[in-house]
Amino acid sequence: MAELDFERRLERLFMDAPELPDAAAFAQRIERKLDRGWNMRRWLIGAAGLTGGVIGASQLFMSNLFERVETAEQSARLVGQGLSRVSPSTDMVSALSGGYGVWVAVALALAAMAYFASRLIEEM
Amino acid sequence: MSGATISTYASLHDVELCAHAAAGERRAFGELVRRHGSAIRGLLRRMGAQGAEADDVAQDALLAAFERIAEFRGEGTFAGWVKRIAARQYLRRLQREKRLAELAVEGTDDEADATAGDADHRIDLDEALKVLSPAERLCVSMCYGAGLSHGEAAEALNLPLGTVKSHVKRGLEKLRARLAPAESATAEGRRSNG
Repeated sequence: MAELDFERRLERLFMDAPELPDAAAFAQRIERKLDRGWNMRRWLIGAAGLTGGVIGASQLFMSNLFERVETAEQSARLVGQGLSRVSPSTDMVSALSGGYGVWVAVALALAAMAYFASRLIEEM
Repeated sequence: MSGATISTYASLHDVELCAHAAAGERRAFGELVRRHGSAIRGLLRRMGAQGAEADDVAQDALLAAFERIAEFRGEGTFAGWVKRIAARQYLRRLQREKRLAELAVEGTDDEADATAGDADHRIDLDEALKVLSPAERLCVSMCYGAGLSHGEAAEALNLPLGTVKSHVKRGLEKLRARLAPAESATAEGRRSNG
């Protein structure tokens, strides 16, 4: 029993740690470290997004885009003609499946780039 | 961050602060550090770390705790949870720097001083811990300060369970011898005052 009492007392003594004089400064140091780590993380995410956007947009432009647009437009026209015989309301389908679809993809990529660029500017 | 928010954090319970910190609020975690930072640094010092080293390990442990705050379910105290992280990190540091093996061997340097109880002065825990060998000090601090079981301490120290138990037993005997005179002196003082 005395053994157990002593162990309880020892636990209390361990818990009863004195407040160190630089406790506030230590806490501020930790907060600064956390802020720095957080900012670094946001920068990295922003940079990764921007890089991805640039790569995506450049891939779109570099991969014979204009040639493909022409081919796609021709295909779309043919598909559109075919569909118009089946159903009268095919404008939307032909727009997305043809040359417009590529431009929509480019616009989305640019929007993504703009978003990540704005995040970066906000961080600065 | 406004002063109003900081004062709001000051009025919150640890568990609530942990929930805020888990949502990414770094100032909420800062309040937890303000409350418990000294206890964590104190434990590391009691385990044998020097001032600057104890602060470094405490800082690493607190940053790790922030990263893993979602794992804290409020089953024990926040301070206890971080103390366990800090104790393990300190041991890993000792292992990395190849100091753990030296500490884990039987130390007899301070044995002579162990029974030299100072009945005239109140001896606090920090003073009493100085009479323990490094291994005893580590084991006792881990089990009674960080709240690890003997098994967990043995695993963390990479020592057989029996060795840890005997370090703890010897450490407790020395601490009892060291702390008991102060206890009886205090009781004596109370009697004479009464």
